[in-house]
This record gives sequence, structure tokens and C-alpha cells, in this order.
Amino acid sequence: MINYLRTLLVGALVLNSSAFAKSLEPNDDLERELAYLAAERQVVVTASKMEEHVDKTIATTTVITQDDIAHIGARNLIDVLRLVPGIGITQTQFGWREIEVRGVKTVLSEKVQIMLNGHPLDHNLQNAGSAWVYDDLPVDTIKRVEVVRGPGSALYGANAFLAVINIITLNAKDLNGVQTSAGWGSFDTQQYRASWGKQFDNSAEAAVHFNFTDTDGINSPIPADSLSAKGLNSSAPGKSQLTEGRYDLEWQLGYQDFKLDGRYINKKAGAFFGAATVLSDDRTQQDYNDYFLRLSRAWKINDNFTVDTQVFHDFFSYDNIWQTASSQFIRTGLQDTRTGGEIQANYHVSDAQTLISGFSYAKEQQSNLIDQAGPDPAHLTAALPSTEERRRERWGVYVEDVWDPLKNLRLSLGARYDRYNDFGGTFNPRMGFNWEFIKNYSLKFSYGTAYRAPAFGEFGLVNNPVLLGNPTLKPEEVKTFETGVIAHPVSGLTTQATYYHSAINQIISQVHVQAAISQYDNSGSVIAEGVELEMRYDFDGNLQGSYVSANHVLQHSIQLGRQLADVPRQRTNLTANWAFDNTWSSFAHVLIKGDTLRDLGDTRDSVPGYALLDLGLLGKNMFGKKVDVSFNVYNLFDKRYYDPAPASLNFVGDYQMAGRAFFGHVSLKF
Amino acid sequence: MKMINFCKLLVLLAAFFATPGFAESSKVLIVNSDNTVYRYETIATEFKKVLQQNAYQWTEFNLDRHANAEEELKRLIQQENPELIYSIGTKAYSLARIHAHNKKMLFSAVINWRRLDIDAGTYGVANELSSAQEISLLRYFFPTIKKIGLLYNDKFSREYVETIKKDASALGINIVTQSVNDAQEIGEALDQLLPKIDMFWIISDPIVLSGKDSVRQIFQAAEQQKKPVYAYSDVFIEHGAVLAISADIATIGRQSANLAMMMDKDKVPGGTVQVPAGSTITLNKCVLDALQLKFNQDALDSVNKIVGCAKND
Repeated sequence: MINYLRTLLVGALVLNSSAFAKSLEPNDDLERELAYLAAERQVVVTASKMEEHVDKTIATTTVITQDDIAHIGARNLIDVLRLVPGIGITQTQFGWREIEVRGVKTVLSEKVQIMLNGHPLDHNLQNAGSAWVYDDLPVDTIKRVEVVRGPGSALYGANAFLAVINIITLNAKDLNGVQTSAGWGSFDTQQYRASWGKQFDNSAEAAVHFNFTDTDGINSPIPADSLSAKGLNSSAPGKSQLTEGRYDLEWQLGYQDFKLDGRYINKKAGAFFGAATVLSDDRTQQDYNDYFLRLSRAWKINDNFTVDTQVFHDFFSYDNIWQTASSQFIRTGLQDTRTGGEIQANYHVSDAQTLISGFSYAKEQQSNLIDQAGPDPAHLTAALPSTEERRRERWGVYVEDVWDPLKNLRLSLGARYDRYNDFGGTFNPRMGFNWEFIKNYSLKFSYGTAYRAPAFGEFGLVNNPVLLGNPTLKPEEVKTFETGVIAHPVSGLTTQATYYHSAINQIISQVHVQAAISQYDNSGSVIAEGVELEMRYDFDGNLQGSYVSANHVLQHSIQLGRQLADVPRQRTNLTANWAFDNTWSSFAHVLIKGDTLRDLGDTRDSVPGYALLDLGLLGKNMFGKKVDVSFNVYNLFDKRYYDPAPASLNFVGDYQMAGRAFFGHVSLKF
Repeated sequence: MKMINFCKLLVLLAAFFATPGFAESSKVLIVNSDNTVYRYETIATEFKKVLQQNAYQWTEFNLDRHANAEEELKRLIQQENPELIYSIGTKAYSLARIHAHNKKMLFSAVINWRRLDIDAGTYGVANELSSAQEISLLRYFFPTIKKIGLLYNDKFSREYVETIKKDASALGINIVTQSVNDAQEIGEALDQLLPKIDMFWIISDPIVLSGKDSVRQIFQAAEQQKKPVYAYSDVFIEHGAVLAISADIATIGRQSANLAMMMDKDKVPGGTVQVPAGSTITLNKCVLDALQLKFNQDALDSVNKIVGCAKND
């Protein structure tokens, strides 16, 4: 109390005329403070002038952060993608997974462009798509996954058709040391990861990631194949042989304005069912190698004008042995390369307007074909080639203007022209706006087109008795418009509703030209439309770190007056994360998928819908913020559910997916 | 891959942990955002005093005195080749960082340092006190306060506000926030925020505190709704804040100098950015009594300065 009286006495020297000041009289101290704040106000620091807040983009975008991935307990990329509204994941007979986007899916997922740190990964020129080696990409080194639904060819060119999935990995600054992780789970699954990153004093920086994954696969029961259905000797009834082993090495090296980055992947896998109508045994082996190497440099001409340049080399090869009958195997292989460069100018016209334009060129080549056949993998002899060695050159020019004419209005206008030496040119525009018509309520609208370039295998399939290539193919085209409202009605709550309408034309499909003989041709169209509803609420106060989110899609994809086969009309994701404290949190996810219809002429009943519950427990920043641990249970109630098998495999029934599965994960930072 | 191989890989990677060599020279370049700004000037003066006492050499560059400051700064860094660049204020740091290359960097007087790109070899003294300490003290002084509200601008203060929320959550305090894009939104934001909270917290956000009008608006709204105001600086006590915990500006300068000398000797303590070492707690007894706030009398011993009411003549 003595101290109190003393300080009261001292403090009484500074007197106010009332408890609250009625007006602000000249006050040197306040003026000094405000002058300081005014000086600080002059500088706004942002990572990139073209980085846009999700709320302000005209595109429908979902961002999954590293933190989200940890909560989900994702084992690979598809575990992340299946929570994204408008995206569904299903099993193929070959082994890799299909990525369904907005009610449209194909076996090769070639209408989805996957990118790593902005670099396209559609390296397979024979069959297109990236799911071959990227569907089960490990996620421990991922910082962020950005999923942009809708056409993206105006900016990214070929194959950004239905969606662009950009995977951003941890860089040197994010790592700043060594990080390792390991995971073990059901089906004898093991994952290991080591990352190292460092920024040096001389502006050099380096980050290196190594991943290794191995699994025995889900061993789904396969009740029948075309042989057993006829009472002939076969592997059926049996089990899927989808063993998978993969390792990859990623590097990001920087010095001043230069950067050299890339990723090498080797993946070996069995098959889920096989490439023919006969159940494969463990002698079917797929072997993929994939890498890209990119050297880029950023040039700062002045504060408002920068130029990004890059040269790159992509490589993809496979050497696969497929069982096509009990005692019949084929071996197919090839190498694809893409070498090219890109220059992009970024002009910051004003604080409210940025203009970017660029030119890209690439040369693509397919070579080193392998075609063999024989009664078993050890006794294969040369066979007639199934495809051709090919070359292709392509170039593209693009421009995009992002302009905020008003504080609450963003306009975006862009277009790209691409020219290929084999099929000609294609022009794809994109435009839209984002208008915050009431504070915290924004209206979005966009229109754009995109194309999917014919793959080499569609141009030049040869010596196939039942399927012919077609050198006169044109690219597939899609025109999409979408509109939506994004709102933050109360603090912590984000809601979004989006309607989309896509018209896909010139679809490259197999068209019957003679009895039992088909040929690739531009034939048919699909109208896909739907509504995507999303909400997320982040709790505050004592529940900080907790959230609930939900998304629900209603989709309707029509071809020849019928709903597309093997895609559901509706899908719902419900998630909840409860943070007990700063360390421990638990996560729950419910996936509800509607029934899926069969193809025309397929008399099987619809594939029944299902609901799955996943649970997870995550402990973060333990032992001096050095250790994270997680444990997840997938399909907690051991629900038996199926992904649709195509009509050509109707004797299989459908693909039974994994029952209850566990995965534990430990991550260390040094 | 067997586990043993994985362990071997870890050992191999750990071998990369080579720390850079230590500097021997003692030359320091001070880059000041604007020497006419009292806070920057005070910090620079105190910083130089300590360097002088320890026989360090320095060169000073004030951005406000050069028309083409960036080019001249770039040239100066090349000419002087300093071992360490000390930036005072965000503008100084942003420019110096571009041209620093392999130089050691130190900063202070930066609003919300967490929004900066900070490279290895860069250290700083924060402008803000530890929010965990501030909230602990608030809870100590006002045990019944459960909900504290604040206004902020996303561009300038997002990371700082996130830290506050996290720290508050751990201490059982609910932080209610409202972001504003410009000063015009403050009135409406206050109308929405104040009814939901027990106390309003003024943080050093350059958009929220964009002028005297903004300050007046805050205190008038708080008075009307009888909400106490806690502030990061004691300059707001005179305008009606009930409590202020201020970082001592001069100490930031001295603390920076000591950190610079430790960096020069490569004896930097853990943590890249230190919180200000000196602080002053000021209590406005007049407002406290007027609002009849429940105050922990035992906490008075912690108060450095108590301000009473003026007598009305």
C-alpha cells in the first residue's frame, strides 16, 4: 500500500480534466506517436504482388494448408483432394486413381492439370494426365495445395481443363534446418521423409526433400474375371495386387535471382485388377520414372516492372509388364521429353492494376519404344509396336490484366493463344469480376474456355486390332461460366455458394468404325452443371484452433440425355477439428457419397452410396516444438463400400475399397 | 528402405549443419527510415551512444534526406561494406534487405515484424511487447475481464493479432477482433465490436490509428458504452485509457546496440527477434474509478505510474 500511495502521489502530478478526455488538445506525445505510425504506414509488405486473397479471386479456389493436412492425417495427395468440394477420388482397374472434377471423370484424369510449384506435371505425352505418379504423392513436404476449379487454359495452356491443382512444397526458409518424419499403417504401409533447408549469408539457399513410401495395397477381393466367369482356369477369385513402392527427390537451389529446382520420382506398382479382362497376378509390374529440371531467373527492371524467365526439361518414362491372359504378358515402354522455356513480364501499372503477359515454347518428343510379348515375363520377345515415335512443337502467348477500379471491385481479363504443329491453334479467353457489394459479402462471376490437347497415343495408336489412332484429331474444348457468393456473415464464419455450367465439346472418344473396331475421334459433348456449397467456422477464445466445416455438391453431368455413368449426383464432406489446447487436437471427417448410375447398356444396379467416418488425433509442437505425432483411423465403422467398375468388367461386380485402416505418423524438427 | 538406412540418411543430412564463419570487423551501418520521427530518432541516438561507449564505428544513412534513397543506399552498402546493417523502421528494413546480400541484419521500430521476410542472419528487437505478458498482466489487474476486443488492419497487423489470439486463448481470455480497411470504417466497426467485449485494446496499427480523429472516435465510443480502454502506449492515458503498458523507446535503442555487439561477436542468444526489455505500466485511476472497474488491489505494486483526476476549477 505504501507503494500505491507513493505512485498515486507521483501520478497525481499528471492530471486530467475528466475521466475520459472530451477532446484532443495539442499533445506532443500523441502527435509523435501518430507521426511514427504514419511513417510505418508507407510500407506494405506482401510476399508477391500477384498473390491474391482467396476472397478476391474470380476463380473458385480451395486452399489446403500444411496445418489442414496435418489435421486430416493425410497419407498422400488423394487423401487431401477428397475433402475438396467438387472433387471425388475413385479406383481404376490399372492401379492409379481417377480424379473426378465437377461430375466429370476419366480413367487417366487428363482433364486435370497438376502442377508442382507452378510447373505442369502432364509429362506423359502418350496418354496425358498426371495421376500415374502423382496420385499417391507424399504430403509431408507440402506447404499448401491450391485447387482452382474451372478452366485455366487462358493462363496455364494445355490440359488446365476442369481444374488446376498446384502443389507448393516447403522451401529453404520454411525448413531452416532438418525435418524428418515417418509413418506406419495398415496394409504394411510405411513412409519416410527427410528434408533439409538452409539460407546462406551470401543470398544462396537450398532445400532438399527425400520421400520413400511402400505399401502392400488394400488387397481387395476380386470375385471373378472373364476366364473364371466361363469356368476356365484363372487367378479369380483372388485379390488385387496393388503393391506400391516409390521414392522421390526434390531440390530447390537459389542464388541471388537464380533458382534451380526439380523433382525426380520412381514408382513401381502392381495392378488393382489389370489391363485386360483377366485378373493379374503379382507378375504385372508398372515402373515409372518422372522428373523435371527448371532453371529460372527473376529480373527486376524497376519497382513496377519485373520479368520472370525459365527454361525447363521434363522427362517421363514407363516400362510396364501387363498380364493379358493366364499365360500371356506384354511389355510396353517409352520415353517422353518436353524441353522449353517461358518468359513472363509483370507490370505493376498502379496499386490497383497489374498486367502480366508471356510467351512460352516447348518441344516434345516420344522415343525409345519397347514392345514385347510372351508367355511369362522371363520369356518375352519383340512384338509389333503399339504406338509411334513422335515429335511436337508448340508455342503460346498470353496476357492477363487484374484491375481493381474500385476498392470493392476486382476485374480480371485474360486470354491465351497456343499453336501446335500437329493440330493447329487454339484461343482461350477468361474474364470475370469479384464485387464486394456489401462489406463481407462478395459476388463472383467468371467465364472462360480451355482445351485438352490430343495425346500422342490418340494420334498414333498402331497395330492395335480393335482401336485405331487418328492423326486429324482436334483438341477437346470446354466453355464454363460460374457465379457465386462468398460471405463472412459473422466473425470466423466463411460461406460460399457457387453455380457452374460447363459445355464440353469435341470430346476425344472411341468411336466404332467397323464391327469390333473403334477409332479415336472428336465426338460427343457433355453438359456439366452443379452447385457447390461450402462453409467453415473457426472458433475463437478458449476454442481457438478448433473449426467445423462442410461442403456439399449437387452435380448433374449429361451426355446424350443421360446422367454420366460412375459419378454421383451429390457428395458431402463434414469435418470438425477440436483443439483441446495448444498441443492436442482431434479431427473427424464424414464423407457421404450418393449412388452412381451405370453406363448405357450396363444392367447392373447403381453403385450404392455410402458414408464413411475418419477420426484423427494430432499432437503438435511437443518437446520444445520439435515433435509432432498423429494417429488416424480411416473408415472407423469398417463400412464395406465400392467404387464402380466399368461396364467392360461387369463380371467383377465393383471394386471393394479399404475397410478400417490405421495410420500413425511422427515428425521431427532439428 | 530399412530403418537403418533411413537413420544413415539423417546423419548425412545433419552433417550439412555448418554455421557460417564469424565476422571480425566492427563497422555498422545505421539506416533510419526518417530521422525526423521521434521514435526513430530516439532509438538511433541511444543505439549510437552504446556503440560509442564500446568504440564501434558506424555510418548513418537517413532515408528522409535523400531523393533517390534506394540507389544511394545501395551504393553506400557497396562502398562501406559494413559488417552489420541496423535498420530502424519498416521502410529502412525493406530497402536495406534488398541490397544487404550477405550482411548481418538487425532491425527495430518495425510494426508487426512477423509480416516481414526475415532471412537467416537477421535479428531484431520487436516494437510490441510480448502479448502473452501483456495479457497475463491484464488478467492480473482485471481478473473479471473475459472478452477483449481490438480493431486491426489485415495488411499491417494480421500476424500480430493472430499471436495475440493464440496467447489469449492459452490464458483463457477471448479476443474479439474486427478488421478495417481504412479509417472510415472505424466508427461502424466500433459500434459492432464494443457491445460484445469487456475491454478494448488499442494496438499499434497504422490504419486504425491513422490520425487524431480515429483516436477521438475510439475514446468517444468507448466512453459512450462505458468500456475501458487498454493501450500499448501511455500517450493514450491522457485521452482516457485506463491502463497502458508501454515499451520504453530508449531501451529499444540500447537493447539493439547490445544485440548488434553480440551479433558482431557471434554470441547471439536464442530467438531471432527479442521483445523490448524495458516497459512502463501506467494506470489511470480516474477512469478506473469512473467506470467502477473491479481491480486487483494487490496489482498496484506492479504499476510504475498512476494518474489521477484533475480538480475542476
